[in-house]
Parts: sequence; structure tokens; C-alpha cells
Amino acid sequence: MRPPVIIMRTDGTNCDVETAYAFELAGGAPRLVHVNQLRNGKEKLDRYRILAIPGGFSYGDDVHSGKILAVELTSFLREEISGFVAAGGLVLGICNGFQVLVRTGLLPFGEIGPVRTTLMVNDSARFECRWVRLRVEQSPCVFTRGAAGQVVEFQVAHGEGRFFTENATLEEIESRGLVAFRYVDAGGNLTQEYPYNPNGSLNAIAGITDPSGRIMGLMPHPERNILPHHHPNWRRLKDYLPAGRFVFENAVAAAKEA
Amino acid sequence: MLQEVRVGLLPALRDARGEEVLYEVRTALGIESVETVRTVKVYRFEGIDEQAARLLAEQLLSEAVFQEYRVNEPLITDADRLIEVAYRPGVMNPEAGSLMKAAADLGVKGLIAADSSLEYAFFGHLSDRELETITRRLLVNETVQHVVNKKPETLLLGGEPGRTMIIPIRTMNDAELAALSADRLFLNLEEMRLIQDYFRRVERDPTDAEVEILAQTWSEHCVHKTFKARIIVDGKEKKPFLTRLREATADVARQDLVLSAFVDNSGVMRFYDGWAICGKVETHNAPSAIEPYGGAATGSGGVFRDIMGTGQGAKVIASTDIFCFAPPETPPETIPAGCLHPHYLLRRVVAGVRDYGNRMGIPTNNGSVHFHPDFRAKPSVIVGSYGMIPADRAQKGRPRPGDKVVVAGGRTGRDGIHGATFSSAAMTDRTITVNAQAVQIGHAIEEKRMADALLAARDEGLVRAITDCGAGGFASAVGEMGAETGVLIRLDRAPLKYTGLAPWEILLSESQERMVAAVAPENVLRFMELCRDHNVEAVVLGEFTDTGRFEAYHDKEKVLDLEMEFLHHGLPQRVLSCTFNPPDLTEPEILLPVDWAEVCCRVMSHLNICSKEPIVRVYDHGVQGTNALPPYGGVAADGPNDAVVLTPILGKPYGMVIAHGLNPVLNKIDAYWGGIWAAAEAVANAVAVGADPQELALIDNFIWPVPDGEFLAYLDRAVDACADFSRAMNLPFISGKDSLSSTYKGKEAVIHIPPVLCISVFGRLPDVAGTVTADLKREESLLLLVGNRREEEMGGSIYYDIHGHLGKTVPRIDLKKLPEVLLAVHSAIRSGAVLACHDVSEGGLLAALAEMAFGGGFGAEIELPEGVRPDFFLFNETAGCFVLELAPGTDPGVLPAGVPYVVLGKTIPEPDLRFRRNARPLFAVSLARLRAAYQRPMKEVFGA
Repeated sequence: MRPPVIIMRTDGTNCDVETAYAFELAGGAPRLVHVNQLRNGKEKLDRYRILAIPGGFSYGDDVHSGKILAVELTSFLREEISGFVAAGGLVLGICNGFQVLVRTGLLPFGEIGPVRTTLMVNDSARFECRWVRLRVEQSPCVFTRGAAGQVVEFQVAHGEGRFFTENATLEEIESRGLVAFRYVDAGGNLTQEYPYNPNGSLNAIAGITDPSGRIMGLMPHPERNILPHHHPNWRRLKDYLPAGRFVFENAVAAAKEA
Repeated sequence: MLQEVRVGLLPALRDARGEEVLYEVRTALGIESVETVRTVKVYRFEGIDEQAARLLAEQLLSEAVFQEYRVNEPLITDADRLIEVAYRPGVMNPEAGSLMKAAADLGVKGLIAADSSLEYAFFGHLSDRELETITRRLLVNETVQHVVNKKPETLLLGGEPGRTMIIPIRTMNDAELAALSADRLFLNLEEMRLIQDYFRRVERDPTDAEVEILAQTWSEHCVHKTFKARIIVDGKEKKPFLTRLREATADVARQDLVLSAFVDNSGVMRFYDGWAICGKVETHNAPSAIEPYGGAATGSGGVFRDIMGTGQGAKVIASTDIFCFAPPETPPETIPAGCLHPHYLLRRVVAGVRDYGNRMGIPTNNGSVHFHPDFRAKPSVIVGSYGMIPADRAQKGRPRPGDKVVVAGGRTGRDGIHGATFSSAAMTDRTITVNAQAVQIGHAIEEKRMADALLAARDEGLVRAITDCGAGGFASAVGEMGAETGVLIRLDRAPLKYTGLAPWEILLSESQERMVAAVAPENVLRFMELCRDHNVEAVVLGEFTDTGRFEAYHDKEKVLDLEMEFLHHGLPQRVLSCTFNPPDLTEPEILLPVDWAEVCCRVMSHLNICSKEPIVRVYDHGVQGTNALPPYGGVAADGPNDAVVLTPILGKPYGMVIAHGLNPVLNKIDAYWGGIWAAAEAVANAVAVGADPQELALIDNFIWPVPDGEFLAYLDRAVDACADFSRAMNLPFISGKDSLSSTYKGKEAVIHIPPVLCISVFGRLPDVAGTVTADLKREESLLLLVGNRREEEMGGSIYYDIHGHLGKTVPRIDLKKLPEVLLAVHSAIRSGAVLACHDVSEGGLLAALAEMAFGGGFGAEIELPEGVRPDFFLFNETAGCFVLELAPGTDPGVLPAGVPYVVLGKTIPEPDLRFRRNARPLFAVSLARLRAAYQRPMKEVFGA
């Protein structure tokens, strides 16, 4: 059976359709649901196995990117989300979704609560859309299962993606191996150098997981690299396989196991 | 009293926004005295106490990980200068709504208003004059923003609703009629007299609302008087411009392609699997000239609503942007009074397009920027938008008497009053001060949620007809929808941003992000429910009637009662005459270059050729997951492609191609061949990536100086060019727009822009696997130049321009040969023999080869033929010619017989372009040097 995937939308969400398609392609059963439908009870989180918060500009990214939606979720859906996570549900936040997850506290340590890490304005102070190289890190993350060590290319498209936190938290994230993706240069080495590290993220961190491995957020867009013609230079590459698919395939596989 | 919260970064952290300002202070303004800039966000709340403000500060406004905050006290106390910049009262701050929502979500009670602004802290010994310059040139656009010097008393805007005035027009003399028109109605005396006659006939004086709606409906912007006028050229009458374009489209009779042309908010053509694609290209020159950020943003928002308002509602899937400015390095003292500097205009227009498109989630991936000193009179800001709609929903239904007039989306404010009439007027040194209110900033999220709601309503079949509230606001949208039946609206029902609007202001307001739908009574409840589910405000404003009149009430008061017939058909057809005298030009004498490499670099760094990558990178071109051919590609992602290819139906191979062409300077020499060039360039760009030249639709945009005298004659020739091209190529025009007011009339100077004809093209192809990019793919490949040209036709070329000449003879493209060439290139690409393809345009063969080599990362060796001037061979700009890369050993015979081509040479492993003549080296230049020249200009402007 296809595990049900809730693609949570709200005002300003704009990567919902392609994210749903990515799950569809990976064998999931995605459904676009507006946060209002969860608030008014017409939809229930516990009917789903995977919660995906797609990219976009939720509520215009006013105040901070993803902040207004994070406040809405922690004010009205705290128990539902905590229950969903406790029951082994998977949570994926891409770009704006990642920003929402860190601002609910769900990342990095899996619990709704204080904001421990943040995503700041890019060092360039600009929104930028470009393809970057990422190294998949060794971590408990189920979304990256079997991919550790690979270098993949995804597109980034954001103005507030600079991963930042204070030293103690950063050390804890590193020591517990919670980094899922890092920006790397042409040689495959992690880098602070622009544009390989497009926003100046600490330790070149592009995506992280919670200790359970079932919650992941990342700034780059795996859903923009799932079709043969997605890569900007697919015409130059022999038998190119879209490198973003494993994220969704792993999620669907893990949802089936649970 | 207001609660104030200030939020800033922890002192130890670098402030990227502050550094961006510092960069501009130093590079754009050349002010060195500033050492550091830091920014502080200021929030103000009305109706809550300090405790509640503190809760908001901690739960919403600041994050202790990287920020600190203060409540009701300053945050930065040691700055040398502090400047707070806020939106003017009445200018909607998009963030205010989010602050209200989040506060409510957090359980904060009593909040009645919220606002936010930005505080800039300057460190360094800057003088008062320097601070003044920084504030005026960088931080504040006074049409929408102001410097906050003292804490405001309240955030609420109010005032008694303005009353409806009666205009005693029946007794006015000509001078009084002219005075009534000036700066407000922009109608000529003849038109004012017609209005006077009408009200003498109906034996009453009009309300201000009635005069305003007539002025708006009869404005050039809305009614296109010139394009509908009778035209007499050199004493002989010719058909009206619009008639010529529509007859050409009728003659090519592409019912296989066209679903609707010129009748809807965008032109619609068939796609695949029961879907249709549509396109509309708009201009937003006047607003962008006085508030570039808001002007460009609302230009995008407006053209997106044209797509949303097509048929029963289409989904916006792509956006394009084409700009014309004066060069960024233009000396400030040469900028006419009342105009803004192009460096500022360029950066702010790009930011406006960026923020609206990115927030809406519309990929922006085709465009260009052109520069000419005369655009200092008025920039040209062209924004295109493309959409997708089920073919069976592509036709509007006719509103029926009893159908409700439903308005959805943003609230109505005093924004953009007189936008339509103002857009139809020439710029003057008074434009900025008099028409400030004609501009606003956009609210992309309001439009996005409205788009989501309206698509849901369309899919449930709830929408009879829909259109956007653009120029002219309710007056235009409701007036046009009800033109066949009659309509009655109640202005007091319109949700307002603030009290104090007069009825005529509600009627004419051009507040953004509003759509008007005709909804059958039985569908209204469900329609409203869908809007609520998407946080979209919607009200029933009135209903369609069978009276043939446009009636409007405000409470009990009737403020508008006009016959639709007079409103829409009362304006007599104009008669315009002109004589055509070709401009008196000469062909320059230019000697062959001595330092060829240097000349190549000057061409590559010309503003009209140089890389625009720093602009493209700030647009999201991957959103929606549809991109199959990006604006820049190749090994270093810095090789430009000719067009964009999308796959609008995810998982299907069907491609949609979008391209465009324009070359304003050619129109100064010859508007006919300049027009042909623009159209040929647009189609060639599409064909270069693999499009079928028989599966395309065309869109025209004329941005012209005020068309009197010679410029009307030029316009006449440009329109003929479009019609001739359409017939020769068997391609239809399905949408178009003219903006005929790009003349600056100041006290000391009259400046005309170079006439702009921008041709946009979009089409379909069955499988994106059959498309090709411009980057060279491998070494030892064969390079061909395909197409027909006369090398000596160098008029208007970049090569002439860098020598300071305009020239006389522009490329005269052979309309008989062009279709053969395009088909040949297309079939060669389809056959898979073509590894890379790039069309030849500005900068000629040299620029095309260099751009292909940038993408490939290696070079080429070219043998220049004898009997042709080598410089003309390299720099001729005849559109409709292509450079093809064919795999080694391929027989050029893949091209059908009779198609003109030249074997240029081959690709080589070395990163150089090498040119030989008479079997001897002529010159070589390294890609590194060419690339540096190519990338420098926009890097300097954007600091990328």
C-alpha cells in the first residue's frame, strides 16, 4: 500500500505540487492539505505517515522566514504534531519547511520548544537560485539511508539559508552526528567558499536530522532533481539518474516499515 | 500609547543587510566616511500593554540564538547616525497582516494595529550632506516611504468618508474644461466637450465619479485610441493598426493552434492532453519610473492576474522580464528633473520583479536588459506571464442578469488612483510630485492565496467569468464585464484598508491583488467558502442587470448612472495623419581593427551583450519543478541559452518554449526592418533550443514615444512589419499591448526613448528530449553558420556603436528564406545531429561563438572566408542566423538543399577563440579574457 503523505500548505507555500509529485513518484500517496483544514479538524495528522512542509514563502516570510507558520503550528497543533512524531511519523522540511521546523524546535533535537538553531539572511544578503554540490553525511537520518558519502547536486533558491547556532549546540549537533547534508566544492570537500557554500552556513551545513533520524530539514530542493531533464546539464551527462529521488524513496520505504 | 519593540542581531554577528547598504554607500554613492552599517527592525503595536509586547518580542519577533531586543527603548545607542525608514501612512505594509495574525495565534488580546519599519545605524564620521544623500538616494523612496523622526501617536488611519461632488460641466467654457482635465483626467478638449454634450443631453451635471470613470475608460491606456484610429500616411488612408494585426492573424488562420486571440486577458493556444497554454506581456513603465520597486512588483502582479483572469481562470506557470534603461554609469547631472537615476532604477526594478515572482512561486527564466542613453526619459519595464488552463475552461461565459459581482482578494485603499489616466500621459518634471499616489508596493502572498482559491473555484465550475482589477479598478473590471448586460454595484460593500475614501476613489482605486468574478447565485455560498478556506476576503459587490447601464450606489446615494453604450462606444474614432521621412543618416567609414582581441572584449562588455547572470540568479527559475532548459547552463553554469523550456505537466515530456526579441536602436534607423528583426530574433531564439517554427504564437508590445509626427510614421511601419512577418511565417499574433507615452517633456528638454517593439513568442513541443542548449559539447566538432545575411548591413550594430556610429543600413531579413532556414535548423536538431545551437544576434557571430565556448569550457578555431570584410563577418547582427555544433564527421548535408550555410571551423581543446584568414592566423583571444569582459558590467552594478 502507498503510505499517505500530508503536504502541508498555507498562504505563500509554492513548492507543494512538485513535492507531492516527488512522493507520488516514490510510491507515496500525497495529499495537499491547507493548515486551516488541520486547525478546523476537517483533516487529522494521525491519518498520515509522512508530514512534508514544502518550500515557499509561508505568510510572506514576514518577521523571519517560516516564523508565522511555526508560531501557528506550535500554538494550535503542538499535541497533534508531538503525537505524530512519537508514533514514528516522518517529518520532512524543504527550504521554507526547514525554516519552519527549526523555528518550532523540532530540529535539531526532535521536540517542540525553544529555538536552538536558526537560518539567517545569506551572507550575500541576496536571494539566490543556483545548483550546488552536497555531500550526504553519515547520520541516523532515514531519508538519506544508504546514500552517505555520495556527492549530489540540488538547486538552492533562498535568501535566508545561513545555518547558524551557538557553539555548544553546534558541538552537540556534530558530536551526535545530526548533519545530513553539507555544501562541498568541486573537489567534494566541505567549504565556506561562495558560491559553493551559497549562504555562509556554519560547518557548511545544508541539512540536519533529529536524533531519531525521522525528522529532516534541508535548504536545497531535492524535489527539483527527480526527473531526467531537471539537471541543468542533463544533455552533457550520460545516462543521468535524478539524484533527488532517494530522499523520497527512503521516506516511503521507512513509512512502510513502521 | 504604542508599544515599540526593536530587534537586532547580537553585536558579535555580522549584519549582511547592513553590509549590503555599506557596499552601495561606497560603490553607488562613493561615500567613504561610513565604516559600518547595522540594521534594527522596529515593530509598533497599538492596543496592547508592555507585557504583551514583551511576549511578542520573545515568542515571535526575536530569536535569542542570534538576536537581542528592547521594548520601548533604543537598541543601538552608540551609533553616529540613526535613521528609521517606514512606509508612509496609507501605503500598505504587507507585514502588518502577519503581525496581527501571529499575535492572535499567540493569544494576545486587544491588538488593533501593527506596523514595522527598519532602523539604519551608521558608524563613522559622515556629514549631514552625506547622510542626506544616503537617505535620499538609497534608503527612502519618498513616494512610498518616509523617515520617522518622532514616535507616531497612532497607527490608525481615518477620516470622514469623502462626499460625492457634482461637477457643473454643462456651463463650463473651454478653459474650464481644460483645467478640469489637466493633471487629473488627461483627456483632450474634444473629448471633454463630448462629455459636456452628453450631460447637456441628459440634462443634469455629472458626479465626480462619472467624470472620473469616463476619463479612465477613455484613457489611451484602456481604450488604445491610437491603435484603433484611422491612419493617414502621406495622404493615403491605411487600416487601423489593430485591424492590420488582427487581419494578419485571421489570414494565417491557425485554428489548429489558437483557442482565443485578443479577446481575453491573455492569448490562449492548444497544448497537449486537453490542456491549453496562454501568454500575456504587459508594460509598467510609468509606475516603475517613479517607484521602481513597487512599480515593477505590481507590474508582475498585474500580468499574473491577467493569466488568472483568462477564461475561467488559468494557473500562472512562468514569468519573463525585459527592461530598457539608460546606462548605469550615466552622469547624474544629465538625468532630467523628475526622473530617477538608471543605476537605482535597474537595481530596484530587478528587486521588485524578484520579490513578487519568487513569493508567488512563479519561475522567472526568460528576459533581457537593453541600454540606451535616451531611456533616461522613461525606462521600459516589460513583464510577461504565461499560464496553463484546461482547454474546456479557456472560454469565458457571458455574465447573465442576476449573476453576482464578487470581488475577492486585497482590500481597497487610495492606492493607484488615476493609474490608467496617468500611464497615458507623458513624463514631465512634475510627474513624481503630482502622481505619487499612482504607485504602490505589492503583496504577493495576498495574490498567491487568491490564486489558490480561484483555481479551486474554477475546478468546481463556480466561475462564469473572471477578470482582474487592474488599471481603472472596479470601474474598468466591472464596467467591461457588464458591458453587454448592465451592472449595479454598491461601493459601501467594498472592504476598505481605511476609512475616508470618497465613493469615486473606491470606484477608481487600483489597489492590487483584487479579482472580480461573475458567479451564478446558486454558486455564491460555495465560492465564498473556498475563499474563506484560503484566508481570502470576498464580498458580493452587486449584480449584473439587464438595464444596459452602469449604476453604482454608496449607501443610499446614487453616485454613478451611465449608459454602457456611451461609456464604451461614446468615444469617436480618431483620425491621425503623418508623413514618413526616413531619418537622414550616413554609413560610417571604419578601418579594420588593429587590436582584434581588444575589439572583441569591447563588444562582449557592451551593456547590451554583457552577462545578465547576476540578475537571473536572484529569480527563482526552478520553482514548480518544471524547468527543462535553464537561462544559463554549461560546465560553469555561465553560458546563456536562447530560450526557456518548461514541462508544465510534471511527468510528461511535453515542452513549452518561451522566448522574445527586441532591438530598440534599430527602430531609430528603420522601424520596419527593426520590427522584422525583433520578430525574427524572437522566433529564432525559440527555434535555437529546438522549437518547431510552426508551433508558436506571437505577442506584440509597442513602447513608443508619444506618437505624433515622425513617431506615428515609425509606428505605422513597425505595425506593417508585424503583419508581414505574421503572414510570411504563418504564425498568429494572439495578444498585444501598446504604451505610447514614453516621451519626456520637461522645462528644458524633450527626450524621446528609442521606439521599442518587443515580440514575445511561446509554443509547444512534443518531447523536451528533442531540445538543445547553446554550450559547446565536445572537441573536434564541426561548426556551421546557417542562415541568410548580407554582412555589410551593419546599421545599428554594437560594432558600429563602440566606434560611436549609428549607421544607415540595418539588416533586411529575407522573409522568403527565413522560414526555410528555421525549418532546416529545427529538423537538424530533431534528427539529433546538433550538439549545440545558438542564434546570432547582438554582437554577431563573435558573441555567439564566445557564449557557446563559455558554456563548453573550451574553444574554437574559425576560418574567415575571403571576399568578405572579416570584421563585418564577425560582428554582423542579422537575426535568423544560427551557429550549429555538429559531431565530428557529420555531413553538413543533414541540412536540406538550398539552405545557406558556411562551414566555420571546429572546436578545439584549448580555451581560446582562434581566427584564421587566407590560411594564416588573423588573431586569437582567450576565453578567460572574453569572459572577464563579458561578466564585468553587471557584476559592478549588482556586486555579485
